[in-house]
Amino acid sequence: MGNFTALNEAVIKGDVQTAVAETQKALDASQEVRGIIDNGLIAAMDEVGERFSKGQLFVPQMLRSAKTMQACMNLLKPHLQEGETTTKGIVVIGTVKGDLHDIGKNLVSMMLEGAGFEIEDLGVDVAPEEFARKVREVNADILGMSALLSITMPAMAETVKVLRNSGIRDTLKVMIGGAPVTEKYAQEIQADSYAPDAASAVVEAKKLLGIS
Amino acid sequence: MKPFGISAFQPRLKVLNRDQAWAIHTAALEIIEKIGFRMEHPDALEILANAGCKVSGDNWVTMPAYLVEEVLRSAPRRIALYDQMGNKSMALVDGNPFYGTGSDATFTLDLETGQRRRTVLEDVANFAKLVDALENMDFAMSMANPEDVPLEDIYLHVFAEMVRNTSKPIVFIADSGRDIAKIYEIACLVAGGEEELRKRPFILNYSEAISPLRFPKNVMEKLIFCAEKGIPLCLPSGSNAAGGAPVTLAGAMALGIAENLIGLTVHQLVGRGSPFLFGPNVSALDMKSTVVSYGCPEWSLTQAALADMRDEIYGLPIWAYAGASDAKIMDAQAGAEAMFSIITAMLSRSNLIHDVGFLEYGTTSSLEMVTMANELVAMSRFFAGGIPINEDTMALEAIERVAKGTGTIFLMDDHTFDHFEQALFLPNLLDRSRYDAWEKAGRMDLYARCNSEAKRILSQHRVETKPEEVLKGIESILKGS
Repeated sequence: MGNFTALNEAVIKGDVQTAVAETQKALDASQEVRGIIDNGLIAAMDEVGERFSKGQLFVPQMLRSAKTMQACMNLLKPHLQEGETTTKGIVVIGTVKGDLHDIGKNLVSMMLEGAGFEIEDLGVDVAPEEFARKVREVNADILGMSALLSITMPAMAETVKVLRNSGIRDTLKVMIGGAPVTEKYAQEIQADSYAPDAASAVVEAKKLLGIS
Repeated sequence: MKPFGISAFQPRLKVLNRDQAWAIHTAALEIIEKIGFRMEHPDALEILANAGCKVSGDNWVTMPAYLVEEVLRSAPRRIALYDQMGNKSMALVDGNPFYGTGSDATFTLDLETGQRRRTVLEDVANFAKLVDALENMDFAMSMANPEDVPLEDIYLHVFAEMVRNTSKPIVFIADSGRDIAKIYEIACLVAGGEEELRKRPFILNYSEAISPLRFPKNVMEKLIFCAEKGIPLCLPSGSNAAGGAPVTLAGAMALGIAENLIGLTVHQLVGRGSPFLFGPNVSALDMKSTVVSYGCPEWSLTQAALADMRDEIYGLPIWAYAGASDAKIMDAQAGAEAMFSIITAMLSRSNLIHDVGFLEYGTTSSLEMVTMANELVAMSRFFAGGIPINEDTMALEAIERVAKGTGTIFLMDDHTFDHFEQALFLPNLLDRSRYDAWEKAGRMDLYARCNSEAKRILSQHRVETKPEEVLKGIESILKGS
């Protein structure tokens, strides 16, 4: 196993240029791709997550690290074996029908992506049927729904119902969030999980899929 | 001949110079003219196109700056809000600050248990009643998104509940053109007809565009409705630093102001001279939790800057916030943050100042916070009044009487008796008692005192009852929806 200290540090600092160069160096040295990902990138992102939860890093720094990791992943992807996957899970995400607010939803997307999930972002004002169609199409592990307006919250319940009627509710986990959303509401509409903010959305997503 | 009096300087906060104010305004115009915006209401699009705007595919509009300059001249520079009996109670014009509560809190701190719980319709009633009683609270907002009313008519129900529980002006939320029409029906009942309401509006609609630069259909429905009916409206988009807007306050302000000017333009093109309360909400996203902060110095700073821009450029009354906090309970942080925004909003002469009484970045409302804020506003008002200088206040005769007299003290002097109520700030809830007395009274902190004061007010205060036919009319509007 190679020494990934320089790559780790570049990802933690969010230094895209150095991180990409270090990744290329590791590839040139015929390091195993899996090892670069696990020990070079994911280990660094774990450290970033750790520092963030201790209050030592701020959100823009964490997002820059995620961006750095993505740049490195783009370099590594062509070198993966056929069928070898890099994703922790596929997440379909969107703001529910009638609601056009997307800052929180976008933040959750970016954080999940940084944590190694594959994101299918449907944008805003997404109808229940559209969620269901995409979930089926990509065989999603998680559906994430966001609402800022309390008046649009019922669209979350509606979507869960559509999933159930289409017979795909049990094939995936449903996560919801947004300013007016509560734990209690998540239980009422039989969502699997509620995340009060983007960082906990990552924790919840991992928990739902049994990933540490 | 009587000498001229000396006018009292009233302390006032300035945070921008003229060059800065114009630079932000110019940047806002550049956003409107060069970057453009997304307008999702077909009628508004047509109105803008007819007025000389360029509409390209995907509802993207660019607007010539001269249009903005034009509508700034037709928007009224003074907005008067009346109470529900038809008395003028809020003259929104340069120099006059008015405070009131906020809307849409998911939770409230229960007055009995102190626990944070989901809000119900009764909370709307209690907050409205408290505002009705408190001297320094000038208008009511719902302070709740109650869970015990049908969600699709939530704004209609909270509006009716406010009408039943206060006579003061109401700042209200609506979802779209559908519920605002019903809210308007109730308002007409209270005011005694459409013409009366137009003449003496007691309501102001709060709507929001979506930063950056998006004007959804339902929002524009409300704006057009208000412009046509002459209902005062504000349109503060959430151009919060690092949220809907860039992280730097100058850019966040330019964006929020651009959004307001766009809203104002459609508004004035629909209803020339209809009242539009100016100003964006420019707070900041917290860089750890990503909440929009309600206790940060940034929001107070940007609204002070907006007040300067009003004075330099716009001349329109402005929208603002104060008396809120990010703290989860009414603790020292809540007190510090509430006071910071209350005094700066006062000193910069913001006009309509909402969100008083919020905790937890606007997610939780607190009756105790509103009660405390009432006193903090009084304290700020005293400070902002400055020091009146005249023969009476210079009190040379009193000084001579006491200095030359024997056995007398200022406390005994008639001058003190005559002036103390105006000369000094007399706190009600802020405790200045001697230690022993405080201990004997139960060692209560400010939260506990505000709690018992809020309880006292809610049990004793009587709101002016509306006529039977008005109440019946409201019932039938609610049932018909």
